[in-house]
Amino acid sequence: MANIRQLDKRRKSVRNIRKITRTMELIATARFKKAMDRAAAATDYTKRITQIVQDLANSGASVSHPLLVAHDTVKAVDILVLTANRGLCGGYNGSLVRVAAQRRSEIQEQADAGQTSVSGKRGISAFRYAGIPIEKTYTEFDDQPSFDAVAKIADELIYRFVSGQVDRVDVAYTRFISSSKQVPVVETLLPFAGLDVSSPATVSSSTETQSTGQENKVRDDYEFLPNASAILQEVVPASFRARLFKCFLDAAVSEQIARMVAMKSATENAGDIIKGLSRTYNRARQSKITQEIMEIIGGVEALG
Amino acid sequence: MSSDTSVHCIVVTPERTELDAQCESLKLPMYDGELGILPGRAPMVGRIGFGLLKLQSATGEQSWFVEGGFVQVTRDGVYVLTNRLLKPEQIDRKSAEEELQKATEMVANTPQTRSVKERALAQARGKLRISS
Repeated sequence: MANIRQLDKRRKSVRNIRKITRTMELIATARFKKAMDRAAAATDYTKRITQIVQDLANSGASVSHPLLVAHDTVKAVDILVLTANRGLCGGYNGSLVRVAAQRRSEIQEQADAGQTSVSGKRGISAFRYAGIPIEKTYTEFDDQPSFDAVAKIADELIYRFVSGQVDRVDVAYTRFISSSKQVPVVETLLPFAGLDVSSPATVSSSTETQSTGQENKVRDDYEFLPNASAILQEVVPASFRARLFKCFLDAAVSEQIARMVAMKSATENAGDIIKGLSRTYNRARQSKITQEIMEIIGGVEALG
Repeated sequence: MSSDTSVHCIVVTPERTELDAQCESLKLPMYDGELGILPGRAPMVGRIGFGLLKLQSATGEQSWFVEGGFVQVTRDGVYVLTNRLLKPEQIDRKSAEEELQKATEMVANTPQTRSVKERALAQARGKLRISS
């Protein structure tokens, strides 16, 4: 029976696939840990920046910057989509592209201009397939996005926003909430809303919390060099860059998790298939043996 | 400040905390020149230019190139926020020259583009100064 050999062949190939998916799962786990560490290390900077902004606000400086001001008429909206360069990560790319494409069609209803930029080969090909024109593509971001590369994109967006070429900038990425929950979201990056000065209690640095007791009595009167507003001019773009960098880091971490989960279930599924195939294979082999015995007995009986 | 005789200096970049050290005093490359910090410095927030951050400790002086950013002096320590922290050896004179050339060629016809150009120029000049 050719069926037996076929079954065995299939079982072998499924076994190989299982080996591959298991390895990919392990790789994704290692990368996830690395990406996670990087994301954790990056929070120090954001914390300090928020602290400085708060101190500036506390000292009575008015927080105003061109990046914080919403334009009166929204004519051009840019959207930046952060997807992965590689597939085999479950619904990660698909759901993000869906969210982004939806937002893009919403944008097109209200604004008549704007660029669509996509990072990641998967997103690029998905947008091309959907017939959505892309102005800029980036493929250099993988599991460890570098700040320099992100800063370049950020500077360009800042320039476009400040010079009035664009009135709003949205970014679509997968936000990392916890290691078991990541959601594809679209957020408005510019006008920048990341400087939350209204609620000083929510963000306070570790150093400040240690001395909360005396903090209320002894308020630090900061000396500003050259002055508060000049510092603000620099802080806001820096904060924006850090914010965009955070989006890239989140996307990288989420991608690795998505791949980890996808590969884990693929490995498990392969195991189930192997089990099923083995069962059918054994049964087929047994029935073949039985049949052969029957034939031999039949032959013997015919002879006798 | 963590104690009366030493300064706790922490350098953070957007990617990670690069440096966390105790020293006797340090010199910061501010936007308008060098600024020394001794233990017990009054709280301050300032803008940093492009230049060398020098840490003076018992073992000697160490220096790093910082690329713009801010400094916040609190009673716990000196926090330097910069885009990049490099060892002076890592700066290549040739590439710094190229950057300066590029920055000089930038078109600056609006206030925004002018500030971008000025930034690029200051950065390239700062690097060039260190490398020579």
